[in-house]
Amino acid sequence: MTLHSSRPAARTELLHGTLDMLILRTLQWGPQHGYAVGQTIRAQSADVLQVEAGSLYPALQRLARRGWVTSKWGQTDANQRAKFYRITPEGKRQLLREESRWTELVAAIARIMSPATGPKD
Amino acid sequence: MARLGWLKGRRPDEQDFQDEIRSHLEIAADEHVAAGADRDSARLSSLRDFGNVTLTTEAARSVWIPRWMDRLGELLCDVRHASRVLARNPGFSLTVFAVLTLGIGLNATVFTLLKSLAFSPLAGVDGSASLAVVLNETTAGRQTGLSYPDYQYVRDHDRAFDGLFGSRNFNVNLGSGNRTAPIMGELVTGNYFHQLGVRAQLGRTVLPSDDVAPGQHPVVVLSDTLWKGQFGSDPDIVGTVVRVNTHPLTVVGVAAPGFHGTIVGYDVEVFVPIMMTPQLLRSGGIDPQTVLFDRQASFVIVMGRLRPGTARADASAQMTVLSSQRRRDTGLDTAAQALAVVPIWRSPFGAQTYMLPAVMVLSAMGALLLLIVCANVTALVLARGISRRGEIALRLALGAGRGRVVQLLLVENVVLAVPAALVAIALVPLAIPALLSGISDVAPIRLYLNLSVDRLVIAFSVLAACGSALVFGLLPALRSSGVDLLSVMKDDLSPRGAARGRFRMGLVVSQVAVSLLLLIGAGLVTRSLDAARQTNPGFDAADVISSRIDVSSNGYDQARGRAFFAQLLDRLRADPATASATLARNPPLTMVDQGARRVTIDGYTPRRDEDVTFLSNIVAPDYFRTLKIRLVAGREFENRDDAAAMPVAIVNETLARRYWGGAEAIGKRVRVASDEWRTVIGVARDVKYSRVTEAPRPYVYLPFLQTYQPAMMIHARGSAGVAPLIERLRTHVQALDPDLPAFETRLLSDQARATLTILEMAADGLFVFGAAGLALAAMGIYGLVSYTVKQSTHEIGIRMALGARSAEVVWHFLRRGLRLGGIGIIVGTVSALVLTRLLGSVLYGVSAIDPVSFAGAVAVVVGGVVVATVIPAWRAARTPLSKVLRP
Repeated sequence: MTLHSSRPAARTELLHGTLDMLILRTLQWGPQHGYAVGQTIRAQSADVLQVEAGSLYPALQRLARRGWVTSKWGQTDANQRAKFYRITPEGKRQLLREESRWTELVAAIARIMSPATGPKD
Repeated sequence: MARLGWLKGRRPDEQDFQDEIRSHLEIAADEHVAAGADRDSARLSSLRDFGNVTLTTEAARSVWIPRWMDRLGELLCDVRHASRVLARNPGFSLTVFAVLTLGIGLNATVFTLLKSLAFSPLAGVDGSASLAVVLNETTAGRQTGLSYPDYQYVRDHDRAFDGLFGSRNFNVNLGSGNRTAPIMGELVTGNYFHQLGVRAQLGRTVLPSDDVAPGQHPVVVLSDTLWKGQFGSDPDIVGTVVRVNTHPLTVVGVAAPGFHGTIVGYDVEVFVPIMMTPQLLRSGGIDPQTVLFDRQASFVIVMGRLRPGTARADASAQMTVLSSQRRRDTGLDTAAQALAVVPIWRSPFGAQTYMLPAVMVLSAMGALLLLIVCANVTALVLARGISRRGEIALRLALGAGRGRVVQLLLVENVVLAVPAALVAIALVPLAIPALLSGISDVAPIRLYLNLSVDRLVIAFSVLAACGSALVFGLLPALRSSGVDLLSVMKDDLSPRGAARGRFRMGLVVSQVAVSLLLLIGAGLVTRSLDAARQTNPGFDAADVISSRIDVSSNGYDQARGRAFFAQLLDRLRADPATASATLARNPPLTMVDQGARRVTIDGYTPRRDEDVTFLSNIVAPDYFRTLKIRLVAGREFENRDDAAAMPVAIVNETLARRYWGGAEAIGKRVRVASDEWRTVIGVARDVKYSRVTEAPRPYVYLPFLQTYQPAMMIHARGSAGVAPLIERLRTHVQALDPDLPAFETRLLSDQARATLTILEMAADGLFVFGAAGLALAAMGIYGLVSYTVKQSTHEIGIRMALGARSAEVVWHFLRRGLRLGGIGIIVGTVSALVLTRLLGSVLYGVSAIDPVSFAGAVAVVVGGVVVATVIPAWRAARTPLSKVLRP
């Protein structure tokens, strides 16, 4: 996954495991196929996050192997055959864990990046 | 199965994943179309957006398939590929294969020998290398067994061992009369079989219940070989009675197949409870009545396995404590000796004592030979690597990682090495008899060693092969895979070619150096052998035969025995074919010390911890005349020195000089064990008693007429050659008692030769190694010179066109070859000066830096270098000019 900032050169690797969290989050609103997952993440991040297929599909396989998602072939609205991924209850628990870890991480980074907002102020 | 099914159910198959990707691409294309693109460009941009399909598939696959499984697949693929590549280059493949088979075969052979002495010394016993021997060590460093009471004491007080058992090998005459077969037996304690973990395949083994009352357990367990050979696998053997040294013993069982006793080198075929020692063991200095109670009768070899977690050092320390405790408990003065623990490979009671030093030297030399083999094959692989630079560059250009290419090249080497190892293993059973033939020919009793090609040998060979493959493959592989793509594509060979040339020269130099080292070793051992052969053993074995007769095997008592031996000597002496005849308890040069007895010397008080146990012999009149051992003072035993006369003895020069300081020894007195005091009537020249290489040591001769023994060696000197004598001896024995067998009838010179066979084996083995090493080094030089010549064809042509003569061209290359050889010789000589010191254990009468051996080896190597250089150079010089100048 790559982060698209205004300057193409400043691409930054997202923290490891975050992609899994984003996929699980996307699937929370209902089953989706791989292409839609990628598109959703892109749309919701206002085109900042573009998930490449080379990262997305291995990630989906990883989640399936851990039992956090299940997959099933079905039909899209446009009557295309596609493989749909559904989050499992265990996957939901994992998402909660990831979210709190993420929140902590973001807060920690924020404290480092903007110390002016600390108690000293 | 259920588990596998579950795995399969959860793993998406390849097809499913491809379907998913296809659906992704179609959905994406649909969206592009919906956004207004035409169908074709939509398809293209969806593909472009997706990225590398193969890489994605691989990444997804790796989520499911463990890395090692993938690697295994790659490896199998490489093996298939390598086999095809090698089959396409049969010349190269066969050469490498042959060189490797030679190197590994020789090493596997020596390793098998080493295994039979050290790593798995007892056939049929699991983990026999972990056995340790408890023995008595005197202050003079002489190691003996324990007496039976000492064995019991140690067994009961020791806490370091997981149970100690004892045994003693003894000569067995199986059967009676002329049908007697001389075999080896072992007297064993009741826990012997249990502690060794050897079971009976029929009946039972010797049990603790057979270990109770002296003389009261007349039972015997047969070995598998004896049962199958002598008794035709008789299923009803248990319960039958066999005669062992004329004593009837009931067969109670047959030991498991493959078990041959615990004395390395002997094929033990009968196992008898140690309680039968008084009835069965006949050995100089052992009194049958007291043997099981006498603390001086150190005849038991004690062994056991250390408890888990106990180091041998701990066990030794415990034994030291036990020694002093034993001294206090028993009130015996044993200050001159202490208990010691040695691993079985250092046990002084078997063939390992005299064979291991030579075999260890051979092993070290084998390792050196393997180095030459590796260097040789490296050069071959490297040369081939040059011609494959294009292929490798292509692989690298197509994106193969360097590691992947190195792996491929290494696999090619392993594909050659493993079959070479397998063929080498198959050759071991053929090579071993050749190596040991000298020993088997002269050994008095069939030599038995655990020489089976077992897991250890196979593991060693395969490891050696794969290890070599890594050594000779890695460097060329790294070099080949490190090619600079640009230079290959531009076909620019010069700078790297030169570097590779230097590396190849290094390989040749190292081969020359190591083969020189091997040849120097071979030369030193051969010179030792010569020195040993030329050593005067102190007696003259020429024209003397020897034969062993045991009159007790026909139930003779002492009176009948004496009468028999007297009559036999009379008959032999009356025979015109005989110059003189005599009897001796032990022949000279027996390899192992025989008849060690504690000797008390009149007028000499030994220090409290001094070892005054010397070898001794019991001999009849005319012994010194028959063997031509010179007496420096006094006279030899005569018929008048019989039981009625004054007890007499003869000592050797070393004893006389050491204890009476050169004063007149005649008339002094000595006492052997608890025997009576004997007056010295003669002083004999020193003889090599056990081994040609031994140092002078004190020795005592007792007269047969005053010290009866039922088993004696006959020595007879022929008056006109030795050939008719063997038949004459047989006739005389038959005339006296047709049922009395004579064993080990042979020339005394053969007996003398037996002690040299180990040295002969080492010399032969080293010569094979040296010759193989030199041949390989010569091949290496030949290859390098041919290569250089080929590269310089043009230059040669120009030189010759300008008027150079062929001799000059040959000399040009010869100079280069000699320069390489010279460097190798210098390196080899310098390392030899340091390394030959390690040969000390097998050298005799020759310095480790013996100039003759060094010069000889250098001459041979120079010869090899010249031949290997001149042939290709000469061929180059003969090439017609037209061919050279118009390539």
